[in-house]
Amino acid sequence: MMGELDLNEVGEWLSGTGPESDIVMSTRIRLARNVVGFPFLTRIEERRKSELERWLRDRIRGAKLDWDVSYQNLNETSPLERQCLVERHLISRDHANSKGDRGVAVGPRGMVSVMVNEEDHLRIQVLRSGFQPDAAWRQILDFDKRLEGQMDFAFSPEFGYLTACPTNCGTGMRVSVMLHLPALVMTKQIEKVFHAVSKIGLAVRGFYGEGTQAMGDFYQISNQVTLGRSEEDVLKTVAEYVPQIIKFERNWREKLITENRVGLEDRVWRAFGMLERARLITSEETMDYLSAVRMGVNLGLIDAIPISTVNELFIVTQPAHLQKLSGSELDTPERDENRADYVRRRLASLN
Amino acid sequence: MICESCHQNLATVHLTEIVQKYKKETHLCEECARTRGVPYKNPLAKDPLSAKKEEPVVAPPPAGELAEPCPSCGTSFSDFRASGRLGCPHDYEQFKRGLVPLLEKIHGAVQHTGRIPARVGARIERQRLIAALQRDLSQAVEREEYERAAEVRDKIRALEQQQVEEPST
Repeated sequence: MMGELDLNEVGEWLSGTGPESDIVMSTRIRLARNVVGFPFLTRIEERRKSELERWLRDRIRGAKLDWDVSYQNLNETSPLERQCLVERHLISRDHANSKGDRGVAVGPRGMVSVMVNEEDHLRIQVLRSGFQPDAAWRQILDFDKRLEGQMDFAFSPEFGYLTACPTNCGTGMRVSVMLHLPALVMTKQIEKVFHAVSKIGLAVRGFYGEGTQAMGDFYQISNQVTLGRSEEDVLKTVAEYVPQIIKFERNWREKLITENRVGLEDRVWRAFGMLERARLITSEETMDYLSAVRMGVNLGLIDAIPISTVNELFIVTQPAHLQKLSGSELDTPERDENRADYVRRRLASLN
Repeated sequence: MICESCHQNLATVHLTEIVQKYKKETHLCEECARTRGVPYKNPLAKDPLSAKKEEPVVAPPPAGELAEPCPSCGTSFSDFRASGRLGCPHDYEQFKRGLVPLLEKIHGAVQHTGRIPARVGARIERQRLIAALQRDLSQAVEREEYERAAEVRDKIRALEQQQVEEPST
């Protein structure tokens, strides 16, 4: 069942096939779980931590899943490989950079993954293309139940699933919807969205989650509260408010087209031209151009590139992926050259 | 001023009463006031109620059970306050008094309303069933239906056995 983790396999969430995927890049749900009989990872001895890692790995393996899982011990994985997993949104930065026996189990096309020995014993994740909170919930619920059959989760009727940080106890659930909002950024309407969502208990996070920056006009909207609200309740709030943000972005895109179509086309094509011709390009610059191209493709202003390729480029042009593709370590100027080269060749291959 | 009751100690409790429209003043020492059951407050002594009010709700000082580290993992409440992370599931019980106000602040709630793991759910179900059967049992005994009482008792025993066999969470 467990083979090598295939880093060349593109995640399903980048396929651009899910509902509303012109604006919603992905829907992610994660559940924090700890098992009975082991302390939390803040308080565990190295030896027990290793024991726990093997124990959890075997339980995940025994969970009778309908799909294959690749399991990887991150202590035996190179920093570059770990960074690639971060760039693919399969593990957190903390998980990549921490020490000791810890791992990740990944299902087909990165739709399901489990971090073992992160802040909690298990961080179960489902990551899907587009806006599909219900499908993601059904999938993670099924997975959670199968794991539950293998182990006793730390749970109290009063505080719910017990987690290392009290901000996660209760359901242990975080729903994050990654939205691409270039028109709202361009027209400076984005602050209004932040203001509105904060009032209803949702938070805005960056491209790589908590504490990270927004890049390429991507923002993650996620719930904050995990105690005192049921999973369905939280999902309902997300299902109610995210479509409003989608509509808001669409309206501004239309407005931009109606008021200045040539201006917008110029912006999109210039971005495309830069990606097609540049010889040195930074990661931030690439994200900005890709963002404009992504909107252009979704608005039918440009048809030179499929959306899945644009999405994939957001990830493959990140530092670790570039180094993995080139097969060598690269410093920043080398990466900028390498990145420009890669994007240029990728775009040329589309013709 | 000398106490009007014992005529020995210094009067420190000054009582003003209205008796049939007339103001009546009594001056007593602390001891006599206490024996007479006068409800008075020593302003210097800490009133447990007002002291509670002054305590900051968010960060109660580690006192009583909060001062004790968790017997299971050794984490103390100050460890938690420094790192923001608990040491083991038992800490939620151990530091409950300190955590509840914090959870209230973070989540605006202190009671889980979401999913319950199937195994725990089964335990809770069973506990409820046992409680209901125990009511049946006392009813049966009251009515002197001993055959029925024995039946119910066996059911309870079987359920209790199941509770013991499955490790509690």
